[in-house]
Amino acid sequence: MVRPFGVKGKKRKRKEKYDRDEEEGEEVAEPTAKEAAVEEEDEKEMVEKEAGTAADEMAGIPIVQIDQQTKKPGVIFVLERASLEVAKVGKTYQILNSDDHANFLKKNNKNPADYRPDIVYQALLSILDSPLNKAGRLRAVYVKTDKGVLFEVKPNVRIPRTYKRFAGIMLQLLQKLSISAAGKREKLLRVIKNPVTQYLPVSSRKIGFSYSSDKLVEMSKYVETVSNDADLVFVVGAMSHGKIDCDYIEDFIAISGYPLSAAWCIARICEALSNKWGVV
Amino acid sequence: MAKTQNKAHKNGSQKKKGNKSKRNGPTAVAMKQKAPAADNPFETIWSRRKFDILGRKRKGEERRVGLSRSKAIDKRKSTLLKDYERSTKSSVFVDNRIGENNDELGEFDKAVMRSQREHKMKLGKRSKYNLSDGEEDDFGTSALGSFGERDDFEDEVPFDDEDDYGEQNGGKKKSGILRHLNAPNVGEDGTTEAEENIHKSKKEVMQEIILKSKHFKAEKAKEKEENEKLMEELDKKFTSLEQSKVLSSLIEPGKSALKAAVNKIIPKDEDKNNKLLTAKKPEIPSQEQPDYYDKLFSEMVFDIRARPSDRTKTPEEIAQDERERLEQLEEERQKRMVAAEDSSDEDKGDTEMASNQKRQPASGDDLGDSFSVEEPGTRKGWVDEILEREEAEEDDASEAETGEDDEGSEEESDEDARDKAQSLKDWEQSDDENLDTDLEEDDDDDDDDDEKIDDAKKVTEPIGVKRSKKSAVTKPAEVNDETQNAKKNKTTSERRSVQLDIPFLIEAPKSMEELCALIDNRSNSDILVVVNRIRASNAIKLAAENRKKMQIFYGVLLQYFAVLANKKPLNFELLNLLVKPLMEMSLEIPYFSAICARQRILKTRSQFCESIKSQEGSCWPSLKTLSLLRLWSMIFPCSDFRHVVMTPAILLMCEYLMRCPISSARDIAVGSFLCSMVLSITRDSRKFCPEAIIFLRTLLMAASQRLPDSHQESQFHPIRELKELRPLLNIRDDVPEISPVSFLSVMDMPEDSSLFASDNFRASVLITVIENLKGFIEMYGGLSSFPETFLPISTLLLGLAEQGNMPPALQEKAREVALLIKQKADDHHLLRQPLQIRKQKPVPIKLLTPKFEENYVKGRDYDPDRERVERKKLKKELRQEAKGAARELRKDNYFLLDVKARERALREEEKMEAHGKAKAFLQEQESAFKSGQLGKGRKRRR
Repeated sequence: MVRPFGVKGKKRKRKEKYDRDEEEGEEVAEPTAKEAAVEEEDEKEMVEKEAGTAADEMAGIPIVQIDQQTKKPGVIFVLERASLEVAKVGKTYQILNSDDHANFLKKNNKNPADYRPDIVYQALLSILDSPLNKAGRLRAVYVKTDKGVLFEVKPNVRIPRTYKRFAGIMLQLLQKLSISAAGKREKLLRVIKNPVTQYLPVSSRKIGFSYSSDKLVEMSKYVETVSNDADLVFVVGAMSHGKIDCDYIEDFIAISGYPLSAAWCIARICEALSNKWGVV
Repeated sequence: MAKTQNKAHKNGSQKKKGNKSKRNGPTAVAMKQKAPAADNPFETIWSRRKFDILGRKRKGEERRVGLSRSKAIDKRKSTLLKDYERSTKSSVFVDNRIGENNDELGEFDKAVMRSQREHKMKLGKRSKYNLSDGEEDDFGTSALGSFGERDDFEDEVPFDDEDDYGEQNGGKKKSGILRHLNAPNVGEDGTTEAEENIHKSKKEVMQEIILKSKHFKAEKAKEKEENEKLMEELDKKFTSLEQSKVLSSLIEPGKSALKAAVNKIIPKDEDKNNKLLTAKKPEIPSQEQPDYYDKLFSEMVFDIRARPSDRTKTPEEIAQDERERLEQLEEERQKRMVAAEDSSDEDKGDTEMASNQKRQPASGDDLGDSFSVEEPGTRKGWVDEILEREEAEEDDASEAETGEDDEGSEEESDEDARDKAQSLKDWEQSDDENLDTDLEEDDDDDDDDDEKIDDAKKVTEPIGVKRSKKSAVTKPAEVNDETQNAKKNKTTSERRSVQLDIPFLIEAPKSMEELCALIDNRSNSDILVVVNRIRASNAIKLAAENRKKMQIFYGVLLQYFAVLANKKPLNFELLNLLVKPLMEMSLEIPYFSAICARQRILKTRSQFCESIKSQEGSCWPSLKTLSLLRLWSMIFPCSDFRHVVMTPAILLMCEYLMRCPISSARDIAVGSFLCSMVLSITRDSRKFCPEAIIFLRTLLMAASQRLPDSHQESQFHPIRELKELRPLLNIRDDVPEISPVSFLSVMDMPEDSSLFASDNFRASVLITVIENLKGFIEMYGGLSSFPETFLPISTLLLGLAEQGNMPPALQEKAREVALLIKQKADDHHLLRQPLQIRKQKPVPIKLLTPKFEENYVKGRDYDPDRERVERKKLKKELRQEAKGAARELRKDNYFLLDVKARERALREEEKMEAHGKAKAFLQEQESAFKSGQLGKGRKRRR
């Protein structure tokens, strides 16, 4: 439905694959050892070539190589209790928010203060715009709504800059269950099955955040203590009031003496992590 | 039976309604209709909604699966089962009894209907004479009121049983058609009312028509009134317009009489209008007004809207005018020459001359800096005139000599020949170097050195001084001058006397000789006038062949300029005056002038190479070359990065600075002049000329007391061909004050002049050098190599400042410039950064924009191709239908199988029963047989 229909004529007969990663994995697995060796050589040549061109630009000044091959620990965010709810207001479906739908919510005996999709929006922005993400250390973001719908946000999504558009995306996501990239078939957001734990890496460390926790720590110091190999999962609440209560969380911490907004909390986490991992 | 069932349903549903605590409407209705007696507990189960969406209507969302299932089974029972049962039968029993088709009716009603029908049949005409039972008849008449009247109708259209039934039950259960047919019976009032309505509408129509016409008339009247009002207003406006001067400017002045007439008419008309309006006769003004207005209007159409002012003249026309004016003047002059003593003519000439002065066209490119025509004229006195005469005579003589010169080598004869031919490039080659030298020699012969120096001094004095001096000279000369008022007249008359013999129309000279013939013995201003007249009378815009003429003339004039620059008693003023026409002309013929300049530069360069090879005498450029270079720098744009003329010119200058050995103080003067010229030229383009800076540095070194050792020097000047550097500028004694040295005077001096050895000269040269340096510093301040270029100079300057015998002003200057260099260098140092290893910018992950629709609605196809959407929709529908059909069929099958199974079971059971019976019978018999009850005899037997 949202697939691009740029090309007319005969339709490509192609089996749509659910996950792109799998596809790529298969392709990588295909070439034989010999081919792989050849490829390696090619790669070497390429690297040399690149170095050569760089040297041409400015003789005698070497370029600092950036190591991108080795696998580094990543970070996963889980936003719990996000208030993203679709409702039919008038004739159109909309994501409920406390500003526009206060009357509607009151009529339906709901508390408008609970409907805060902007918190999710801010939180997603601060996660996906962080240098940590730009450096490729973010693995994924999972959002679980108040209603129990769980969806995944890929790290290479460019979240729209205005709330209205964000609401449009969320609306479509919750109804259509997936959002693909413009001009590509890659799915950027998609609704997945509960529970979230099945998507988290096995060895990962799950850390939850709560103002009510007794364990008040300084984020940078706390992050230093965490081992370098394991992926980190941070569970942050995206609601206006209340507390997250998830059974999979291993450690509940508070990172400020004050109640923080979700966006600020995430900013602190990202800052601490980028300091630790040397992402400038 | 069905009825009772229905009732039972209703009861059940009501109960349920109470239980279910107000579900919404449609389901409630459905329940009311179809809810069975709720024997099946599955029917009470409602389907659960998975996702509750706030605000969504629940239409069709909630279902009771069990209920619908049982409903479907019921339906099958009534249809499929019947069919199935019928399938084995060859004939069908159809119950066509009256009322049997109508499900709503009860048994009793059906019976009533049947009896009615029977009764009616009896009442028919055919059965009129049939004997009947008394009871039935009575019943019929009492039941049917006005039936007899409508007998015929009933016969003709035999209705269904229902009709009878309806009639019988009165208004309660009438079918719609019957009610309609009965309408006339029910009330005649309605029909009459309708007729009245029709009648009334006719009247109304008439009334409406009348009303409409009235309304229309009223509107017409109103419109008319409004028109009149508008007309009146327009009239008022028009009169006011006419009284103001707007119209008068539009109307031709010649038609003022008409305008007056118009003015007369208007008030009249107005009065008339007013009267008429008061008298309420609207037709007359409406007739008369257009008359008057139309008249005016038609007149105005033919009027000229606005007279065009004089068109701005094209350059060609201006040139043509100029030429014509000059022609006229020439004619008059010729006349005057015939009849010389005519005072009135003179006056005319005066005025014309004045106008001529005024009319000097100032082009858009006028620099405005060079001069004005009036000034020299007013300044000139007869003394100057005489002086110039003398000079001109000298020139003449020299010229004549050169002309006669047999010893003048082949070149010269060639030159002459070429001058006559005057092809485009010829004059370039026929550079008059030799001629110049000849001239100089002549001058040397004729004049004393002292005189020369005097002349030079006079020329090179600042202009202000000169002017005052000249005015001082002119004052005593004008003997008749008594009053200040008369002075003006005097000067003009003088000018006239000077200019009288200049023809107004001059053919462009084709060679140097012709030009000299024209210009000789004339004052500076006259020469200018001559040049201007030549240009005006041969303007390129007048005729195509004039371009050629002007090109030749330009070459000649440039040559003249060069010759003039090399003359020993330098006529600097004339040089200045010639700059302007040369510039203007080179604007007119840019291509040619550029070629001229290039050729000359080429030649100069080859000469320079020659002279530097021969190593005798000074190879520094002569005053001629310098002035030509200056002229080109004024003519051609200096700010261009690359220019046909200026780039070679700069290169030439730099080469001079680089290669010429500094052997005398005069060389230093020339060099510093070249430096300042380079500075002025490169200021806009910011071209880097290392030669000039190195030259300046060398000069500063020449000023310092101790000479730097050769090693250091060679290190600093790898390219400079330094032969020897004498401390030419070293100041030995105290200098009381520094007076500026005129460059031209320096140029005129011989090399061994005492001035060059004086400390005063050195100090002034140093001042200029430092000033130049400052200019370069400011220009090159932005270069990143600034500190490296200028810091050594700053140390040199500081060293100079610390020397003894340095005049304080010079010291100060040197320190100031050194400080400036230091500041700028510090700025540069501040901005410099150490060499770093280059860092590759980290590459961020590629972000993708999600694609989404505004106002997304689930289920809508967002495909832009509508056709495909339609197709898809249809396909989907088809698929759904097919699925539904398959499901139905499957369910039918199940149902039938079920039925068959049940039948089979029944049959089995019957069979078993029969079997059992038979078996029981047999067993009984057997037992009886065995027990011997069947045959006594047998038993007995046994």
